[in-house]
Amino acid sequence: MSRLLSMLQTPVGHAEASWALLLRRGIYTSPVAQKNIRAGQIKSSINANLPLTYEQAQKPHKIGVTKAWNSWNTSNLTGETKDSAATTLEDLFIRQFMKGTWHNYLASEVIIKRRLNVVIVSFIAERQLNARNFYFLVGYTEEMLSTILKRPIKVELQTVRRKRDMTFKLI
Amino acid sequence: MASADQISHESMVNQSLRFKMARSSVSCKYSEFSMVVIPGHNHTGDSVERRRRPELPVIPPREKSMPIDQDWTTVWPTASTFKWSAVPLPIRQGRVFVCFKNFSESNIFNYFHSQKAEQDGIPPGKYGNLELMKIPNFLHLTPNHIKKHCAALKEFCTEWPEGLETDEKCKKHFPVEVISSDYIVDSISLRDPRARTVCIKINLSSLDLDSHAKDKFIRLVGDRYNADTGELTLELDRCPMKKQNHDYGIYLLSALFKESWKTEGWESEKTVDDMEMYVWSMNESKKNTQQITEVMKKAAENPSCKVPEYVLKSENVLETEPVQEYAAAVEDLHNVGEDLHSLEKYKEQVKKMLLAQ
Repeated sequence: MSRLLSMLQTPVGHAEASWALLLRRGIYTSPVAQKNIRAGQIKSSINANLPLTYEQAQKPHKIGVTKAWNSWNTSNLTGETKDSAATTLEDLFIRQFMKGTWHNYLASEVIIKRRLNVVIVSFIAERQLNARNFYFLVGYTEEMLSTILKRPIKVELQTVRRKRDMTFKLI
Repeated sequence: MASADQISHESMVNQSLRFKMARSSVSCKYSEFSMVVIPGHNHTGDSVERRRRPELPVIPPREKSMPIDQDWTTVWPTASTFKWSAVPLPIRQGRVFVCFKNFSESNIFNYFHSQKAEQDGIPPGKYGNLELMKIPNFLHLTPNHIKKHCAALKEFCTEWPEGLETDEKCKKHFPVEVISSDYIVDSISLRDPRARTVCIKINLSSLDLDSHAKDKFIRLVGDRYNADTGELTLELDRCPMKKQNHDYGIYLLSALFKESWKTEGWESEKTVDDMEMYVWSMNESKKNTQQITEVMKKAAENPSCKVPEYVLKSENVLETEPVQEYAAAVEDLHNVGEDLHSLEKYKEQVKKMLLAQ
Protein backbone atom coordinates (compact mmCIF):
# COMPACT_ATOMS: atom_id res chain seq x y z
CA MET A 1 0.00 0.00 0.00
CA SER A 2 2.79 2.42 0.92
CA ARG A 3 4.47 1.60 -2.35
CA LEU A 4 1.27 2.41 -4.17
CA LEU A 5 0.95 5.74 -2.35
CA SER A 6 4.53 6.66 -3.08
CA MET A 7 3.87 5.98 -6.73
CA LEU A 8 0.84 8.22 -6.66
CA GLN A 9 2.81 10.99 -4.94
CA THR A 10 5.53 11.13 -7.59
CA PRO A 11 6.41 14.52 -9.10
CA VAL A 12 4.34 15.76 -12.03
CA GLY A 13 7.01 14.92 -14.57
CA HIS A 14 7.01 11.23 -13.65
CA ALA A 15 3.26 10.81 -13.16
CA GLU A 16 2.70 9.21 -16.54
CA ALA A 17 5.36 6.59 -16.03
CA SER A 18 4.01 5.72 -12.55
CA TRP A 19 0.48 5.12 -13.80
CA ALA A 20 1.81 2.92 -16.55
CA LEU A 21 3.66 0.94 -13.92
CA LEU A 22 0.51 0.66 -11.81
CA LEU A 23 -1.55 -0.60 -14.71
CA ARG A 24 1.01 -3.18 -15.59
CA ARG A 25 1.33 -4.48 -12.03
CA GLY A 26 -2.36 -4.41 -11.18
CA ILE A 27 -3.86 -4.78 -7.72
CA TYR A 28 -4.45 -8.19 -6.25
CA THR A 29 -6.98 -8.67 -3.45
CA SER A 30 -8.25 -11.75 -1.67
CA PRO A 31 -10.72 -12.22 1.18
CA VAL A 32 -9.33 -12.65 4.68
CA ALA A 33 -9.69 -16.21 5.90
CA GLN A 34 -10.61 -15.66 9.54
CA LYS A 35 -10.56 -19.24 10.65
CA ASN A 36 -9.42 -20.46 14.01
CA ILE A 37 -7.07 -23.33 13.38
CA ARG A 38 -5.84 -23.67 16.95
CA ALA A 39 -9.00 -24.47 18.89
CA GLY A 40 -9.16 -28.02 20.22
CA GLN A 41 -5.68 -28.87 19.01
CA ILE A 42 -3.08 -29.98 21.51
CA LYS A 43 0.37 -28.44 21.32
CA SER A 44 3.26 -30.83 20.93
CA SER A 45 5.73 -31.16 23.79
CA ILE A 46 9.48 -30.53 23.59
CA ASN A 47 10.40 -34.20 23.90
CA ALA A 48 7.53 -35.35 21.69
CA ASN A 49 6.37 -37.69 24.44
CA LEU A 50 2.94 -36.32 25.30
CA PRO A 51 0.55 -39.25 24.95
CA LEU A 52 -2.69 -38.62 23.08
CA THR A 53 -5.68 -40.87 22.65
CA TYR A 54 -7.15 -41.36 19.18
CA GLU A 55 -9.91 -38.92 20.10
CA GLN A 56 -7.43 -36.23 21.10
CA ALA A 57 -5.14 -36.86 18.16
CA GLN A 58 -7.84 -36.12 15.60
CA LYS A 59 -8.35 -32.40 15.20
CA PRO A 60 -11.85 -30.90 15.50
CA HIS A 61 -12.33 -30.47 11.76
CA LYS A 62 -11.92 -34.24 11.41
CA ILE A 63 -15.16 -34.95 13.26
CA GLY A 64 -17.28 -36.98 10.90
CA VAL A 65 -14.21 -37.82 8.80
CA THR A 66 -11.74 -39.77 10.90
CA LYS A 67 -13.57 -39.74 14.21
CA ALA A 68 -17.25 -39.90 15.06
CA TRP A 69 -19.40 -37.72 17.26
CA ASN A 70 -19.52 -38.13 21.04
CA SER A 71 -23.24 -37.39 21.24
CA TRP A 72 -25.58 -39.48 19.14
CA ASN A 73 -29.15 -38.22 19.07
CA THR A 74 -31.85 -37.22 16.62
CA SER A 75 -31.65 -33.52 17.40
CA ASN A 76 -28.18 -33.58 15.82
CA LEU A 77 -29.69 -34.48 12.45
CA THR A 78 -30.10 -31.90 9.71
CA GLY A 79 -33.27 -29.86 10.04
CA GLU A 80 -34.18 -31.33 13.41
CA THR A 81 -34.12 -28.32 15.67
CA LYS A 82 -36.69 -29.49 18.19
CA ASP A 83 -35.25 -30.01 21.69
CA SER A 84 -31.66 -29.79 20.48
CA ALA A 85 -30.83 -27.15 23.10
CA ALA A 86 -32.29 -29.23 25.93
CA THR A 87 -30.50 -32.35 24.70
CA THR A 88 -27.16 -30.54 24.51
CA LEU A 89 -27.59 -29.15 27.99
CA GLU A 90 -28.41 -32.61 29.33
CA ASP A 91 -25.35 -34.05 27.65
CA LEU A 92 -23.25 -31.37 29.28
CA PHE A 93 -24.70 -32.23 32.66
CA ILE A 94 -24.16 -35.97 32.18
CA ARG A 95 -20.52 -35.38 31.24
CA GLN A 96 -19.96 -33.23 34.31
CA PHE A 97 -21.60 -35.87 36.48
CA MET A 98 -19.45 -38.62 35.03
CA LYS A 99 -16.33 -36.55 35.51
CA GLY A 100 -17.17 -36.19 39.19
CA THR A 101 -18.43 -39.69 39.85
CA TRP A 102 -15.75 -41.58 37.95
CA HIS A 103 -13.04 -39.15 38.93
CA ASN A 104 -9.60 -40.33 37.82
CA TYR A 105 -11.00 -43.58 36.36
CA LEU A 106 -12.20 -42.19 33.06
CA ALA A 107 -9.76 -43.17 30.34
CA SER A 108 -11.81 -41.74 27.50
CA GLU A 109 -14.48 -39.23 26.62
CA VAL A 110 -18.05 -40.02 27.61
CA ILE A 111 -20.24 -41.10 24.70
CA ILE A 112 -23.93 -40.40 25.05
CA LYS A 113 -26.31 -42.24 22.76
CA ARG A 114 -30.06 -41.86 22.89
CA ARG A 115 -32.68 -44.33 21.75
CA LEU A 116 -36.29 -43.17 22.27
CA ASN A 117 -36.33 -42.19 25.95
CA VAL A 118 -33.32 -44.28 26.93
CA VAL A 119 -29.97 -42.57 27.43
CA ILE A 120 -26.96 -44.84 26.97
CA VAL A 121 -23.78 -43.60 28.56
CA SER A 122 -20.68 -45.47 27.46
CA PHE A 123 -17.04 -44.86 28.19
CA ILE A 124 -13.75 -46.60 28.92
CA ALA A 125 -12.53 -46.77 32.51
CA GLU A 126 -9.16 -47.65 33.94
CA ARG A 127 -9.04 -50.87 35.92
CA GLN A 128 -8.08 -49.27 39.23
CA LEU A 129 -10.91 -50.69 41.28
CA ASN A 130 -12.08 -54.19 41.81
CA ALA A 131 -15.20 -55.39 40.08
CA ARG A 132 -17.40 -54.90 43.13
CA ASN A 133 -16.64 -51.20 43.34
CA PHE A 134 -17.17 -50.82 39.62
CA TYR A 135 -20.60 -52.40 39.89
CA PHE A 136 -21.44 -50.05 42.73
CA LEU A 137 -20.43 -47.01 40.67
CA VAL A 138 -22.41 -48.25 37.66
CA GLY A 139 -25.51 -48.71 39.79
CA TYR A 140 -25.00 -45.38 41.49
CA THR A 141 -24.61 -43.56 38.18
CA GLU A 142 -27.67 -45.21 36.67
CA GLU A 143 -29.81 -44.54 39.73
CA MET A 144 -28.75 -40.94 40.20
CA LEU A 145 -28.98 -39.97 36.55
CA SER A 146 -32.36 -41.62 36.06
CA THR A 147 -33.68 -39.83 39.12
CA ILE A 148 -32.39 -36.49 37.89
CA LEU A 149 -33.27 -36.88 34.21
CA LYS A 150 -36.47 -38.86 34.88
CA ARG A 151 -35.87 -41.58 32.31
CA PRO A 152 -33.96 -44.85 32.08
CA ILE A 153 -30.18 -44.53 31.88
CA LYS A 154 -27.90 -47.35 30.87
CA VAL A 155 -24.19 -47.38 31.60
CA GLU A 156 -22.23 -49.53 29.16
CA LEU A 157 -18.65 -49.32 30.24
CA GLN A 158 -15.50 -51.12 29.27
CA THR A 159 -12.22 -51.23 31.08
CA VAL A 160 -8.61 -51.03 30.05
CA ARG A 161 -5.69 -52.16 32.16
CA ARG A 162 -4.19 -48.70 32.37
CA LYS A 163 -4.76 -45.34 30.80
CA ARG A 164 -1.67 -45.53 28.63
CA ASP A 165 -3.25 -48.42 26.74
CA MET A 166 -5.39 -45.76 25.13
CA THR A 167 -2.34 -43.99 23.70
CA PHE A 168 -2.50 -43.54 19.99
CA LYS A 169 0.17 -41.02 19.34
CA LEU A 170 2.97 -39.13 21.04
CA ILE A 171 3.44 -35.49 20.24
CA MET B 1 31.15 -9.20 50.30
CA ALA B 2 33.15 -12.39 50.64
CA SER B 3 32.08 -12.94 54.27
CA ALA B 4 28.45 -12.44 53.38
CA ASP B 5 28.75 -15.12 50.68
CA GLN B 6 30.35 -17.51 53.15
CA ILE B 7 27.57 -17.04 55.71
CA SER B 8 24.84 -17.62 53.20
CA HIS B 9 26.57 -20.79 51.93
CA GLU B 10 26.93 -22.19 55.45
CA SER B 11 23.30 -21.55 56.25
CA MET B 12 22.26 -23.39 53.08
CA VAL B 13 24.39 -26.42 54.00
CA ASN B 14 22.90 -26.45 57.51
CA GLN B 15 19.43 -26.34 56.13
CA SER B 16 19.99 -29.23 53.78
CA LEU B 17 21.61 -31.28 56.58
CA ARG B 18 18.70 -30.70 58.90
CA PHE B 19 16.34 -31.79 56.20
CA LYS B 20 18.28 -34.98 55.56
CA MET B 21 18.42 -35.77 59.27
CA ALA B 22 14.71 -35.43 59.61
CA ARG B 23 14.11 -37.73 56.66
CA SER B 24 16.60 -40.38 57.79
CA SER B 25 15.26 -40.51 61.37
CA VAL B 26 12.64 -42.99 60.31
CA SER B 27 15.06 -45.46 58.81
CA CYS B 28 17.63 -45.36 61.65
CA LYS B 29 16.32 -47.95 64.07
CA TYR B 30 19.49 -48.77 66.00
CA SER B 31 20.54 -45.38 67.26
CA GLU B 32 18.97 -43.21 69.92
CA PHE B 33 20.11 -40.12 68.09
CA SER B 34 19.49 -39.38 64.52
CA MET B 35 22.43 -39.87 62.23
CA VAL B 36 24.16 -37.05 60.43
CA VAL B 37 23.78 -37.67 56.79
CA ILE B 38 26.08 -36.10 54.30
CA PRO B 39 24.67 -36.51 50.82
CA GLY B 40 26.82 -38.67 48.60
CA HIS B 41 29.12 -39.67 51.49
CA ASN B 42 27.41 -42.21 53.71
CA HIS B 43 25.01 -44.99 53.07
CA THR B 44 21.47 -44.22 54.21
CA GLY B 45 20.24 -47.80 54.39
CA ASP B 46 17.22 -49.15 52.61
CA SER B 47 15.33 -46.56 50.67
CA VAL B 48 11.59 -46.44 51.15
CA GLU B 49 10.05 -48.66 48.55
CA ARG B 50 7.28 -47.16 46.50
CA ARG B 51 4.12 -48.98 47.09
CA ARG B 52 2.89 -50.66 43.96
CA ARG B 53 -0.69 -51.52 43.62
CA PRO B 54 -1.04 -55.23 43.01
CA GLU B 55 -2.54 -56.16 39.65
CA LEU B 56 -6.20 -56.89 40.10
CA PRO B 57 -7.22 -60.34 38.96
CA VAL B 58 -9.16 -60.07 35.71
CA ILE B 59 -11.25 -62.69 33.98
CA PRO B 60 -9.81 -63.40 30.52
CA PRO B 61 -11.88 -61.94 27.66
CA ARG B 62 -14.93 -63.94 26.70
CA GLU B 63 -13.84 -64.25 23.08
CA LYS B 64 -10.99 -66.56 24.14
CA SER B 65 -13.36 -69.21 25.49
CA MET B 66 -15.95 -69.13 22.71
CA PRO B 67 -16.61 -72.33 20.80
CA ILE B 68 -16.66 -72.02 17.01
CA ASP B 69 -20.23 -73.34 16.67
CA GLN B 70 -21.76 -71.16 19.37
CA ASP B 71 -25.15 -69.49 19.07
CA TRP B 72 -24.31 -65.85 18.46
CA THR B 73 -27.84 -64.71 19.34
CA THR B 74 -27.25 -65.70 22.96
CA VAL B 75 -23.97 -63.78 23.08
CA TRP B 76 -25.42 -60.61 21.58
CA PRO B 77 -29.19 -60.70 22.13
CA THR B 78 -30.06 -57.00 21.81
CA ALA B 79 -28.64 -53.74 20.56
CA SER B 80 -25.58 -52.86 22.58
CA THR B 81 -22.39 -50.86 22.49
CA PHE B 82 -19.46 -52.68 20.93
CA LYS B 83 -17.63 -54.85 23.46
CA TRP B 84 -14.18 -55.86 22.32
CA SER B 85 -14.01 -58.75 24.78
CA ALA B 86 -17.17 -60.39 23.41
CA VAL B 87 -16.60 -60.03 19.67
CA PRO B 88 -14.26 -62.72 18.29
CA LEU B 89 -13.34 -60.73 15.19
CA PRO B 90 -10.02 -59.05 14.43
CA ILE B 91 -11.49 -55.59 13.93
CA ARG B 92 -9.55 -52.36 13.61
CA GLN B 93 -10.88 -48.86 13.33
CA GLY B 94 -9.14 -45.53 12.97
CA ARG B 95 -7.33 -43.43 10.46
CA VAL B 96 -3.57 -43.53 10.68
CA PHE B 97 -1.45 -40.79 9.26
CA VAL B 98 2.13 -41.93 9.05
CA CYS B 99 4.51 -39.05 9.64
CA PHE B 100 8.20 -39.85 9.86
CA LYS B 101 9.21 -36.30 10.73
CA ASN B 102 8.59 -36.65 14.46
CA PHE B 103 9.56 -40.28 14.63
CA SER B 104 11.60 -40.96 17.72
CA GLU B 105 12.24 -44.59 18.48
CA SER B 106 13.71 -44.07 21.96
CA ASN B 107 10.66 -42.16 23.19
CA ILE B 108 8.23 -44.82 22.17
CA PHE B 109 10.19 -47.74 23.52
CA ASN B 110 11.03 -46.04 26.79
CA TYR B 111 7.55 -45.04 27.72
CA PHE B 112 5.09 -47.06 25.75
CA HIS B 113 6.87 -50.16 24.58
CA SER B 114 3.70 -52.23 24.81
CA GLN B 115 1.58 -49.80 22.86
CA LYS B 116 1.08 -49.52 19.14
CA ALA B 117 1.56 -45.83 18.43
CA GLU B 118 0.44 -44.05 15.32
CA GLN B 119 3.96 -44.07 14.02
CA ASP B 120 3.72 -47.81 13.62
CA GLY B 121 1.26 -47.17 10.80
CA ILE B 122 -1.34 -49.64 11.99
CA PRO B 123 -4.95 -48.62 12.66
CA PRO B 124 -5.89 -49.11 16.33
CA GLY B 125 -7.25 -52.51 17.24
CA LYS B 126 -10.50 -53.26 18.99
CA TYR B 127 -9.04 -53.21 22.55
CA GLY B 128 -9.84 -49.87 24.17
CA ASN B 129 -11.05 -48.45 20.88
CA LEU B 130 -13.53 -45.67 21.50
CA GLU B 131 -14.43 -45.28 17.82
CA LEU B 132 -15.89 -48.76 17.71
CA MET B 133 -18.01 -47.92 20.75
CA LYS B 134 -19.36 -44.78 19.12
CA ILE B 135 -20.67 -46.18 15.87
CA PRO B 136 -23.93 -48.14 15.78
CA ASN B 137 -23.33 -51.83 15.17
CA PHE B 138 -25.57 -54.51 13.70
CA LEU B 139 -24.29 -57.41 15.75
CA HIS B 140 -27.84 -57.86 17.09
CA LEU B 141 -29.32 -58.12 13.59
CA THR B 142 -27.58 -61.12 12.06
CA PRO B 143 -29.64 -63.53 9.89
CA ASN B 144 -30.10 -65.83 12.89
CA HIS B 145 -31.48 -62.95 14.96
CA ILE B 146 -33.95 -62.07 12.22
CA LYS B 147 -35.08 -65.69 12.01
CA LYS B 148 -35.75 -65.67 15.74
CA HIS B 149 -37.63 -62.40 15.50
CA CYS B 150 -39.79 -63.78 12.68
CA ALA B 151 -40.53 -66.97 14.62
CA ALA B 152 -41.57 -64.95 17.65
CA LEU B 153 -43.77 -62.61 15.60
CA LYS B 154 -45.43 -65.35 13.59
CA GLU B 155 -48.14 -66.09 16.13
CA PHE B 156 -49.32 -62.48 15.97
CA CYS B 157 -49.62 -62.51 12.17
CA THR B 158 -52.95 -63.00 10.36
CA GLU B 159 -53.77 -64.20 6.87
CA TRP B 160 -53.74 -61.62 4.09
CA PRO B 161 -57.39 -60.90 3.21
CA GLU B 162 -58.68 -62.60 0.08
CA GLY B 163 -59.42 -60.43 -2.92
CA LEU B 164 -56.74 -57.90 -2.08
CA GLU B 165 -53.86 -59.61 -3.81
CA THR B 166 -52.85 -56.75 -6.06
CA ASP B 167 -52.52 -53.00 -5.65
CA GLU B 168 -55.30 -52.43 -8.21
CA LYS B 169 -57.72 -54.51 -6.17
CA CYS B 170 -56.75 -52.69 -2.98
CA LYS B 171 -57.32 -49.35 -4.69
CA LYS B 172 -60.68 -50.50 -6.00
CA HIS B 173 -61.99 -51.58 -2.60
CA PHE B 174 -60.31 -48.85 -0.58
CA PRO B 175 -60.27 -45.78 -2.82
CA VAL B 176 -59.54 -43.26 -0.05
CA GLU B 177 -55.85 -42.97 0.70
CA VAL B 178 -54.87 -41.36 4.02
CA ILE B 179 -51.23 -40.33 4.47
CA SER B 180 -49.84 -39.18 7.80
CA SER B 181 -46.40 -39.25 9.41
CA ASP B 182 -45.19 -40.12 12.87
CA TYR B 183 -41.98 -38.52 14.08
CA ILE B 184 -39.87 -40.64 16.38
CA VAL B 185 -37.34 -38.62 18.31
CA ASP B 186 -35.15 -39.37 21.31
CA SER B 187 -35.76 -36.12 23.14
CA ILE B 188 -37.77 -35.27 26.21
CA SER B 189 -41.16 -34.95 24.53
CA LEU B 190 -42.75 -37.41 22.11
CA ARG B 191 -45.01 -34.73 20.66
CA ASP B 192 -44.14 -33.24 17.32
CA PRO B 193 -46.18 -30.49 15.66
CA ARG B 194 -45.42 -31.90 12.21
CA ALA B 195 -47.26 -35.13 13.04
CA ARG B 196 -50.67 -33.43 12.96
CA THR B 197 -50.74 -33.07 9.17
CA VAL B 198 -52.99 -35.51 7.32
CA CYS B 199 -53.22 -35.87 3.57
CA ILE B 200 -56.31 -37.50 2.03
CA LYS B 201 -56.23 -38.61 -1.59
CA ILE B 202 -59.01 -40.00 -3.73
CA ASN B 203 -59.51 -40.51 -7.44
CA LEU B 204 -62.72 -38.88 -8.64
CA SER B 205 -63.45 -41.83 -10.91
CA SER B 206 -64.06 -43.95 -7.81
CA LEU B 207 -66.84 -41.59 -6.65
CA ASP B 208 -70.37 -41.98 -7.96
CA LEU B 209 -70.74 -38.64 -9.76
CA ASP B 210 -72.58 -37.64 -12.92
CA SER B 211 -71.23 -34.98 -15.27
CA HIS B 212 -73.01 -32.17 -13.43
CA ALA B 213 -71.92 -33.37 -9.98
CA LYS B 214 -68.35 -33.93 -11.15
CA ASP B 215 -68.23 -30.47 -12.67
CA LYS B 216 -69.50 -28.96 -9.44
CA PHE B 217 -67.11 -31.06 -7.35
CA ILE B 218 -64.12 -29.87 -9.34
CA ARG B 219 -65.26 -26.26 -9.05
CA LEU B 220 -65.63 -26.62 -5.26
CA VAL B 221 -62.21 -28.14 -4.64
CA GLY B 222 -60.34 -25.71 -6.88
CA ASP B 223 -56.63 -26.43 -7.33
CA ARG B 224 -56.73 -29.46 -5.04
CA TYR B 225 -57.85 -31.45 -8.08
CA ASN B 226 -55.24 -32.71 -10.49
CA ALA B 227 -56.83 -32.86 -13.94
CA ASP B 228 -54.06 -35.03 -15.39
CA THR B 229 -54.44 -37.87 -12.90
CA GLY B 230 -58.03 -37.16 -11.85
CA GLU B 231 -56.91 -37.18 -8.23
CA LEU B 232 -58.16 -35.02 -5.38
CA THR B 233 -55.64 -34.18 -2.64
CA LEU B 234 -56.73 -32.64 0.65
CA GLU B 235 -53.93 -31.39 2.91
CA LEU B 236 -55.30 -30.96 6.42
CA ASP B 237 -53.30 -29.23 9.14
CA ARG B 238 -55.58 -26.67 10.74
CA CYS B 239 -56.44 -28.70 13.85
CA PRO B 240 -53.84 -29.38 16.57
CA MET B 241 -54.21 -33.19 16.60
CA LYS B 242 -53.90 -35.81 13.89
CA LYS B 243 -57.23 -37.44 14.74
CA GLN B 244 -59.05 -34.13 14.49
CA ASN B 245 -57.50 -33.38 11.11
CA HIS B 246 -58.40 -36.85 9.82
CA ASP B 247 -62.00 -36.56 10.99
CA TYR B 248 -62.29 -33.10 9.49
CA GLY B 249 -60.93 -34.44 6.18
CA ILE B 250 -63.51 -37.23 6.05
CA TYR B 251 -66.27 -34.77 6.93
CA LEU B 252 -65.04 -32.41 4.19
CA LEU B 253 -65.06 -35.22 1.63
CA SER B 254 -68.65 -36.24 2.42
CA ALA B 255 -69.79 -32.62 2.45
CA LEU B 256 -68.23 -32.05 -0.95
CA PHE B 257 -69.90 -35.17 -2.32
CA LYS B 258 -73.35 -34.21 -1.02
CA GLU B 259 -72.98 -30.61 -2.13
CA SER B 260 -71.94 -31.54 -5.64
CA TRP B 261 -75.10 -33.63 -6.12
CA LYS B 262 -77.36 -30.68 -5.26
CA THR B 263 -78.86 -28.75 -8.15
CA GLU B 264 -79.83 -25.21 -7.34
CA GLY B 265 -82.80 -23.48 -8.97
CA TRP B 266 -80.68 -21.04 -10.92
CA GLU B 267 -78.67 -23.81 -12.52
CA SER B 268 -81.55 -24.61 -14.94
CA GLU B 269 -81.23 -21.11 -16.39
CA LYS B 270 -77.85 -21.98 -17.84
CA THR B 271 -77.83 -21.70 -21.64
CA VAL B 272 -75.39 -22.83 -24.33
CA ASP B 273 -73.70 -19.42 -24.14
CA ASP B 274 -73.01 -19.92 -20.41
CA MET B 275 -71.24 -23.23 -20.92
CA GLU B 276 -67.51 -23.20 -20.25
CA MET B 277 -66.90 -25.93 -22.79
CA TYR B 278 -68.51 -27.42 -25.86
CA VAL B 279 -71.22 -29.96 -24.99
CA TRP B 280 -72.37 -31.97 -27.95
CA SER B 281 -75.82 -32.75 -26.59
CA MET B 282 -76.65 -29.06 -26.24
CA ASN B 283 -75.54 -28.01 -29.68
CA GLU B 284 -76.69 -28.03 -33.29
CA SER B 285 -74.56 -31.04 -34.05
CA LYS B 286 -76.92 -33.31 -32.10
CA LYS B 287 -79.96 -32.10 -33.99
CA ASN B 288 -78.21 -32.56 -37.30
CA THR B 289 -77.13 -36.07 -36.38
CA GLN B 290 -80.69 -36.94 -35.39
CA GLN B 291 -82.02 -35.64 -38.70
CA ILE B 292 -79.42 -37.55 -40.68
CA THR B 293 -80.14 -40.82 -38.88
CA GLU B 294 -83.87 -40.37 -39.51
CA VAL B 295 -83.20 -39.81 -43.21
CA MET B 296 -81.04 -42.93 -43.25
CA LYS B 297 -83.80 -44.95 -41.59
CA LYS B 298 -86.27 -43.86 -44.28
CA ALA B 299 -83.80 -44.56 -47.03
CA ALA B 300 -83.30 -48.09 -45.71
CA GLU B 301 -86.80 -48.98 -46.90
CA ASN B 302 -85.40 -48.81 -50.39
CA PRO B 303 -83.44 -52.09 -50.85
CA SER B 304 -80.97 -50.50 -53.28
CA CYS B 305 -79.79 -48.09 -50.54
CA LYS B 306 -77.07 -49.24 -48.20
CA VAL B 307 -77.20 -47.81 -44.69
CA PRO B 308 -75.06 -48.59 -41.61
CA GLU B 309 -76.35 -51.49 -39.54
CA TYR B 310 -76.63 -49.68 -36.21
CA VAL B 311 -79.35 -47.36 -37.59
CA LEU B 312 -81.67 -50.31 -38.12
CA LYS B 313 -80.76 -52.32 -35.04
CA SER B 314 -81.56 -49.90 -32.24
CA GLU B 315 -84.54 -47.67 -31.69
CA ASN B 316 -82.69 -44.90 -29.89
CA VAL B 317 -79.99 -44.23 -32.46
CA LEU B 318 -78.31 -41.41 -30.51
CA GLU B 319 -77.36 -43.79 -27.69
CA THR B 320 -75.53 -46.21 -29.97
CA GLU B 321 -71.80 -46.58 -29.95
CA PRO B 322 -70.89 -44.97 -33.32
CA VAL B 323 -72.91 -41.83 -32.52
CA GLN B 324 -71.47 -41.52 -29.01
CA GLU B 325 -67.96 -41.93 -30.34
CA TYR B 326 -68.68 -39.31 -32.98
CA ALA B 327 -69.98 -37.00 -30.24
CA ALA B 328 -66.78 -37.52 -28.24
CA ALA B 329 -64.68 -36.75 -31.34
CA VAL B 330 -66.58 -33.50 -31.95
CA GLU B 331 -66.23 -32.47 -28.30
CA ASP B 332 -62.54 -33.25 -28.45
CA LEU B 333 -62.16 -31.12 -31.56
CA HIS B 334 -63.79 -28.15 -29.85
CA ASN B 335 -62.46 -28.47 -26.33
CA VAL B 336 -58.91 -29.71 -26.85
CA GLY B 337 -58.26 -28.08 -30.19
CA GLU B 338 -57.53 -29.07 -33.75
CA ASP B 339 -54.51 -31.20 -34.33
CA LEU B 340 -53.61 -34.11 -36.55
CA HIS B 341 -54.74 -36.69 -34.04
CA SER B 342 -58.16 -35.17 -33.31
CA LEU B 343 -58.87 -34.48 -36.98
CA GLU B 344 -57.97 -38.04 -37.91
CA LYS B 345 -60.23 -39.33 -35.15
CA TYR B 346 -63.09 -37.09 -36.33
CA LYS B 347 -62.70 -38.35 -39.87
CA GLU B 348 -62.79 -41.98 -38.77
CA GLN B 349 -65.88 -41.46 -36.60
CA VAL B 350 -67.78 -39.65 -39.38
CA LYS B 351 -67.01 -42.49 -41.77
CA LYS B 352 -68.13 -45.05 -39.22
CA MET B 353 -71.37 -43.19 -38.52
CA LEU B 354 -72.44 -42.36 -42.07
CA LEU B 355 -71.08 -45.10 -44.33
CA ALA B 356 -72.18 -48.69 -44.51
CA GLN B 357 -69.39 -51.12 -43.75
